[in-house]
Amino acid sequence: MKKLFTTLVAAAVCLLFCAGAVQAKEAAVPVKIGCLFDLQGPAGHIGTPSKLVAEMLAERLNKAGGINGRPIQLVMGDTESNPGKAVIEAKRLVENEQVDAIIGPTRTDSGMAIINYIEKMGIPTVGCIGGTPVVVPVRKWMFKSPQKSVTAVERICQYLQKKAIKKIAVITATDKFGQEGEEALKALTGKYGITIVAQEKFEVSDVDMTVQLTKIKSTDAQALVCWTIGPPGSLVAKNVKQLGFTIPLIQCHGLPDPKYLELAGDAAEGNIMPATKLMVASQLPDSDPQKKLLLEYTNLYENVGKIGKITTHGGYAWDALMLVTDAMKKAGTDKEKVRDAIEKTKGYVGVSGIYNMTPEDHCGLGVDSMVMITVKGGKFTLLE
Amino acid sequence: MFPDQILQFLLSGLTIGSIYALIALGFTIIYNTTGIINFAQGEFVMLGGMFMVGCTRLLHLPLPVGMLVTIMAVMLVGALIERLAIKPARNKSIVTLIIITIGVSIALKAAVAFFSKDSFTYPPFPGPEHVSIGNASLPGQSLWIMGTAGCIMAALWLFFHFTIRGKAMRACAINREAANIVGIDVEKMSLLSFGLSALIGAIAGIVVTPTTQMAWYRGTELGMKGFCAVILGGLGSSPGAVIGGLLLGLLETFGNYLFSGYRDAIAFSIFLLVIFIRPQGILRRK
Repeated sequence: MKKLFTTLVAAAVCLLFCAGAVQAKEAAVPVKIGCLFDLQGPAGHIGTPSKLVAEMLAERLNKAGGINGRPIQLVMGDTESNPGKAVIEAKRLVENEQVDAIIGPTRTDSGMAIINYIEKMGIPTVGCIGGTPVVVPVRKWMFKSPQKSVTAVERICQYLQKKAIKKIAVITATDKFGQEGEEALKALTGKYGITIVAQEKFEVSDVDMTVQLTKIKSTDAQALVCWTIGPPGSLVAKNVKQLGFTIPLIQCHGLPDPKYLELAGDAAEGNIMPATKLMVASQLPDSDPQKKLLLEYTNLYENVGKIGKITTHGGYAWDALMLVTDAMKKAGTDKEKVRDAIEKTKGYVGVSGIYNMTPEDHCGLGVDSMVMITVKGGKFTLLE
Repeated sequence: MFPDQILQFLLSGLTIGSIYALIALGFTIIYNTTGIINFAQGEFVMLGGMFMVGCTRLLHLPLPVGMLVTIMAVMLVGALIERLAIKPARNKSIVTLIIITIGVSIALKAAVAFFSKDSFTYPPFPGPEHVSIGNASLPGQSLWIMGTAGCIMAALWLFFHFTIRGKAMRACAINREAANIVGIDVEKMSLLSFGLSALIGAIAGIVVTPTTQMAWYRGTELGMKGFCAVILGGLGSSPGAVIGGLLLGLLETFGNYLFSGYRDAIAFSIFLLVIFIRPQGILRRK
């Protein structure tokens, strides 16, 4: 009798433990989201703030209850500015970590490198990739949060048309990003009645562009459009000032951040560029639907997270994570359903713009998500 | 090509060329004294720029003090490299030593990238912002770059021809064993050559950063260009290094007029051409 009693008690205790364990497990199963960011290498300055922003946002979302009660767990993968490493990390995240979705990577070449794998495995992925080719042509599983290059080019063309500028000179970097800008400019300017009268190139490692710019100066171009990201952009600005150009310099949407102002110094004065509204958040009219979020994001970035001075790059990680988690809140974690939910995103007010995804457009940001800004007195100023 | 454009290209080319010449001189000094091609030479330039960024932007030191601190720091790095990486392997083959310098270069880059992966610059040195010569225009800093390069070249010439140390280093270059036999401390000369190369690299980095900016990865590119200049001028020849550097700067610049966007391709094509056609360089007889 005593033996039976002991057995029963033991069984009951076991049962309790098991039930407890099951219950605890149910509550604690986190939603795993893989993050592919370049923490090392030349794009390290883009990947590092992206990671910090994603972590900050995940913590915030978790405090607010996570995804329908399940916490968000970010799994980092360092792509080291290296497409090969991006593929290895993507495989690790999917096969070892069993992530439910991926955000990133940050570079176009890394994005192109993982795209086939992502498509084969069927992982909903929102890249923080500037380049257009990851979403044109549209892939089933791949989305991206930054504007496409063509969107920025179109914004510039609208501006030029408004200023009645018909002839432009173009100087582009020879890397993927520069080539893409060059192609988009060639393809779109005709539509707006603009002709390219001079076209020059430089390597991203160049430290002196005076040769190309001297050639441009002798043409009758009314504006100069430069397409590159990072330090060479500020070198172009400096050389333009040195050679005493009288026509405006228009930079691409990859440059408006405090680093550009720091590197170009006086030479940045009067430069015009398309940008997301983030850089000029406080100058937006109060009626702007993004203003509140942008000011809040800037505060979180600079004062709460102390990540540094605000840049556009971190915002793409914010939007990518929001797009994924919003979709998961609606659709759970079934990959197919998450993908469909991301594709159905309508009117999400993000840092980089208001997203309206469609089956044909896996970026969801239009020309109206960009403003034209200029540098006045060492600060970005809203132009239109 | 209009005459005023030619002048512009000439000035741009000479500015960049004098940087290459300084880096090439750094290669030459170490090669002559030790037989090693130091692939960390470009890293000295990068360190010069980056330390100077730290001195001016973080510590807010006045320009001359900042320069002095930077030069001392980079020379110390140069000396440490020689003592910790080169000397222990001194009796290994030259190829081993050259590979060690590649390792040192990677380590230095990683060390700087650890602190910051960004590009930096600081304001140009005192002087006019831009200088116009005819229709050509160049930044005032270019005068500093060319002037400094000229001064260093003159100082080196005096050092190698009129001081006992300099003469001893030249003796090592001519015949290391014989120099040892007549009582020249070859090991000390090796240390001196690394210190001197680091000094030149640091100065090059300091003067060039206001126009070109500096980041952890920039040294390698500059080092490769300096190496091209060395090959162009003839390995081991100091006047060759200077002429090779200036010539490479000019060829790149004028080449860029014809094929815009191919600056590096032009430099390395010249490098290959020289290797195939005249491996002893333009200044050396066979």
